[in-house]
Amino acid sequence: MNAPLTLHAFPRAILHVDGDAFFASCEQSRRPQLQGRPVVTSKERGIAASMSYEAKARGVTRGMRLADIRKRCPDAVILPSDYETYSLLSTRLFAIVRRYTPEVEAYSVDECFADLTGLRRPLRMSYFQMAAQIKKDLDSALGFTFSVGLAPNKVVAKIASKWQKPSGLTAIPGRELHHFVAKVPVGTVCGIGPQTTALLQKHGVATALQFAQKPEPWVKQYFSKPFQAIWHELNGAYVFELATGEQTPSHSIQKVKTFTPSSQEKAFVWAQLAKNVENACIRARKYTLAAQRVVIFLRTQHFRDVGREVELSGPTHFPTDILRAVLPVFEALFDASMPYRATGVILLKLSEAYYGQLDLFGEAIRMQRLSNLYESLDTLREKYGKHTVFLGASYLAHTHAQHDGERGHLPERQRELLPGETARKRLGIPMFMGEVR
Amino acid sequence: MPRDNELMAVTGFRSTHALCTLVERLVDPAFLVQQAPEGLLSGYHFADLPILGTVTAGVPSPADEELTDTMSLDEYLIANKEATYILKVRGDSMIDAGILPGDLLLVERGVTPRDGDMVIAQVDREWTMKFFRRRGSTVFLEAANQNYRPIHPQEELTIAAVVRAVIRKYA
Repeated sequence: MNAPLTLHAFPRAILHVDGDAFFASCEQSRRPQLQGRPVVTSKERGIAASMSYEAKARGVTRGMRLADIRKRCPDAVILPSDYETYSLLSTRLFAIVRRYTPEVEAYSVDECFADLTGLRRPLRMSYFQMAAQIKKDLDSALGFTFSVGLAPNKVVAKIASKWQKPSGLTAIPGRELHHFVAKVPVGTVCGIGPQTTALLQKHGVATALQFAQKPEPWVKQYFSKPFQAIWHELNGAYVFELATGEQTPSHSIQKVKTFTPSSQEKAFVWAQLAKNVENACIRARKYTLAAQRVVIFLRTQHFRDVGREVELSGPTHFPTDILRAVLPVFEALFDASMPYRATGVILLKLSEAYYGQLDLFGEAIRMQRLSNLYESLDTLREKYGKHTVFLGASYLAHTHAQHDGERGHLPERQRELLPGETARKRLGIPMFMGEVR
Repeated sequence: MPRDNELMAVTGFRSTHALCTLVERLVDPAFLVQQAPEGLLSGYHFADLPILGTVTAGVPSPADEELTDTMSLDEYLIANKEATYILKVRGDSMIDAGILPGDLLLVERGVTPRDGDMVIAQVDREWTMKFFRRRGSTVFLEAANQNYRPIHPQEELTIAAVVRAVIRKYA
């Protein structure tokens, strides 16, 4: 069957932009010594989080351990992540796309969707010209390449941006859709996981086109709503809306941090947990959310997790409240014979924070006082940086380096401070690194 | 700001309670301010732009009006925010142009350099800061220091950025 799936070209024009090896490219673009060389980031995590195309060509894959990377690719440059710089550049990516359209969904740190529908007349360009212009602006302003896909919906736009990587620019108009999806294995379509792929395989569906050509009743019979939506999009319809607003953590807030070497010292492990609780609460307060339930967990050196859920007496976003509630649970979980390598906290049952309700026990007054206190602490944090003031409970976590040995290496930007910068606060402009002569 | 009875006419509410609830919701995120003698005033977030201040009577303060047309140091120094980077000077190749080791430069990526622009070029896998010179169809890089010879590129010349501002902070 070679019939088009749809006759329209771009009933909607959805763009997907994807940074090529984003973190590694951020590093290469600011250090000419690294260009053309295999670069890997995430030394502090002990694994590869992002690999330059040179490193990928040498067989380095995501999640590979540092020792294996060195074996496979001895000349690889392994760098600690500089999330501050990556975030600055990520913000620029979204800002540049927003020059063209206000409807931009920040999908992840290095990816976004944008709706260009209806902009041909005001911008005096075809959709393809817009996509090309956005790519050109990104490549030149950020100093590395992006892959851009243009299609009638999000699912196909993702196929388009992946079509040619790195530095691709692919448009899939509706009426040519069938040529493209015929070459796409159904398991690589965004949202179709290994379980679904296996099920589809049993029905003789191997490519995205074969899936798209199945009749709708068949799809409804075997698959749930999200997969039916993917089926519609593979047929050229527009189903998945762009989430253009600010992303708020509606479901849960999680903070997990590894430390090396592993520790058997109770006070130190507690301090690590307390620091995670403080960080999770900072995030909750940022979105004025309060948690009703908390999960804490400890990870042993042998990657075994022990954890427990705690119901709080009322919704809160203050670390003092949460720590008081989880201390007995921590005492019960902690096993002094076991070295631990990470702690984590998850805030659950989030709701809009509100302390207006008066009660018999003076709880509202206490919450109001805590709220005043943390408002001041948050102001201090904005002015002087994160953890300017912290709880005594997390003292040991703040005064010890998170990692020893090479995993504790700080990114160069954090070592080379400019006059007036502090370890907590730096200039919000990305920096070219290395000697400038 | 309109009075209660005017607001009721506009909103179509027939109860003052409904109106008060609406007003409270607008007061809370500081769109409106409630004040005893004047009734409702526009708040800090009214129209999404900070209001300079409210004046009960008489002439607005001339100082406030004039300040609306000023720009921040960021706006003054940076034209294309998304393409601007900072870097620290180490060498003395631009010393005769008044650029000293330790100075900070604001540079803009992705612009085509013109003759005489100060640029950041990539030479032998290192950043270098020079004047960009164009003579007919040939281009070369020239230092502002007699100890350095001009660089005539053999093949390709990569200009990463053009220098837009120099910052030297004392103390």
